[in-house]
Parts: sequence; C-alpha cells; structure tokens
Amino acid sequence: MDTDERGFKVALVAGELLNPHGGGLDALAVLEEEDWGAIQLPAADYPDDVARPLLDQAAEQAEEFARNGYTLAVVRGRPGLAEALARYGVALPPTADPASAEELRAFLAEAGG
Amino acid sequence: MPGVAFVAHCLLNQNSKTHGGARCPGVYSPLVEELRAAGWRLEQMPCPELAFTGLHRFWAVKEQLDTSAYRRHCRRIAAAVAGAIDVHVRRGDDVILVGIEGSPSMGVHITSSDPERGGRPEWPDGSGELSPGSGIFMEEIVAELAARGIEAPHAMGISHQLPDHDPAVERAKLRELMGAR
Repeated sequence: MDTDERGFKVALVAGELLNPHGGGLDALAVLEEEDWGAIQLPAADYPDDVARPLLDQAAEQAEEFARNGYTLAVVRGRPGLAEALARYGVALPPTADPASAEELRAFLAEAGG
Repeated sequence: MPGVAFVAHCLLNQNSKTHGGARCPGVYSPLVEELRAAGWRLEQMPCPELAFTGLHRFWAVKEQLDTSAYRRHCRRIAAAVAGAIDVHVRRGDDVILVGIEGSPSMGVHITSSDPERGGRPEWPDGSGELSPGSGIFMEEIVAELAARGIEAPHAMGISHQLPDHDPAVERAKLRELMGAR
C-alpha cells in the first residue's frame, strides 16, 4: 500500500472562490499550496431548493472529519451553513472572508495551528 | 465552449480517501489544473462512502457496499447532485462527470468486484478485483438523471489508483472528454 499523504486539514469554501472570475481570489490554488483539502459549498447562483440538499451534504461530510479530529475552517461560507452544521452537531469552525491570497494564507496558517 | 465538470469529492479533498489512498495533502491537482486551464467550472460531488462507512473504512469491493441502505444513501446524494446538473443543463451548459476508476462507488468504466470477498480482511494485496462497469453512486446518478429526462453526461474516471496509471493518458482522456460535446 502506498504512503498516505493526507493533510488532515479541510476547508469549507464558498463555491465562487473555487471558480473565480475576473481576477478574484483563487482559493483553490492557495488551499493546494497550503496542503488543505476543500469541501465546496453550493454557489449563490443555485436556487435555494437546489442549494439546500447540497449544503446538507457538505455538512454531513464535515461531520465525519470533525468527529475524527481533522482541522476544519470556513472560507467565506454560505447562508445557512451554521444551521446545517448544527443539525449534525458540528460547531461553526473558524471563519474568514479573505480578500486576497495573502489574507487567506494567513487565515489558514492560524486555523491550521 | 467550457462547461461544468462535476468531479469526485476526493479530487479537491484527498482527506476523504480510505487510509493509504491519499496521493497528496489536499487537492489532487493534475486534472483539476487541466479543467481550470480550459475554463471549466468545477462542482464537487459528495463522497458517498465518507459519510456512510467513514474515514476508517476498509478498501471494499462493490458487493460489500451494495446494500439497500447504501443504495438509499447514494440516491439521496444523487438527487442533490442531479438537481444541480439539471440547473446547468437547462442553462445550456455542457456537463461532464469525472469519477474514480476502480472505485466501488465512483467508478465510471472500471469498478471493483469480488463476490467471494467478506469476513476477516485477509485478502492479498493486488488488483484482481478490478472489473468493467460502474460504481454504485455512478449507477444511481445516471438513474436519477434519467428519471428527470436528462441524458447521462459524458464521463470518465481518474485512474491514479489503477496499476497501469499513466498521467499523460489520463490528461489526454480528460481533454477528449472536454471536447466531446
């Protein structure tokens, strides 16, 4: 079996930050550089009835990481995230809405210990 | 024209893999970079095994996961993902699926199968379980889309866990997939 290289750090990230347009913050590139994995939150362009079950799935996935001691963080987040996490018994992780790659790096460094 | 790629959870989060399966700390970049360079929007599908069998799950073959309860779990996720695919199809976006070849859940053209496997996990290391076919979640997402009258998107699986994995071939397949519509 190969050596497992997981980083034990997972960020719940606004969908828009994983698909940036027009020179916006490219969170995925920073997460990769900083050895974090991503759980994508539904983007704001999805109707509520489409976003709600996707958000529920994201929260359920986060629960499994939380209960196993993985480090979690939220980047920008999404309306309803705290409530979705609460339904799975997960407190809202440290949260930031960075405006730049540098701010995101600093936040991840702090959140990741 | 670029479209929307619905990708397996672990492409963006290798922490979801079974122990021994994570190839990097977080983002599995080779195919992600290929998709993004071509202007495709990424949409991460949930990992069906993560919430059902957990982070401490054994590597499994399809027969071990193929229970009514797991099918119900996969259908719940498939309904959520199909809702998002439906949005993009109605907008006229091209949609592709990127799964994980060899996976009992996310395999597209190759899954894993061994009807004899079960009990105490003492099977020898190897790849004898690889079999043609789709994984359970992939079967359920195609069924859910069909129920909504949506044609199954073109799809491929990443092959990094197959013994004959060739990164150049994998990238070429993805480029072909992106140009398939």
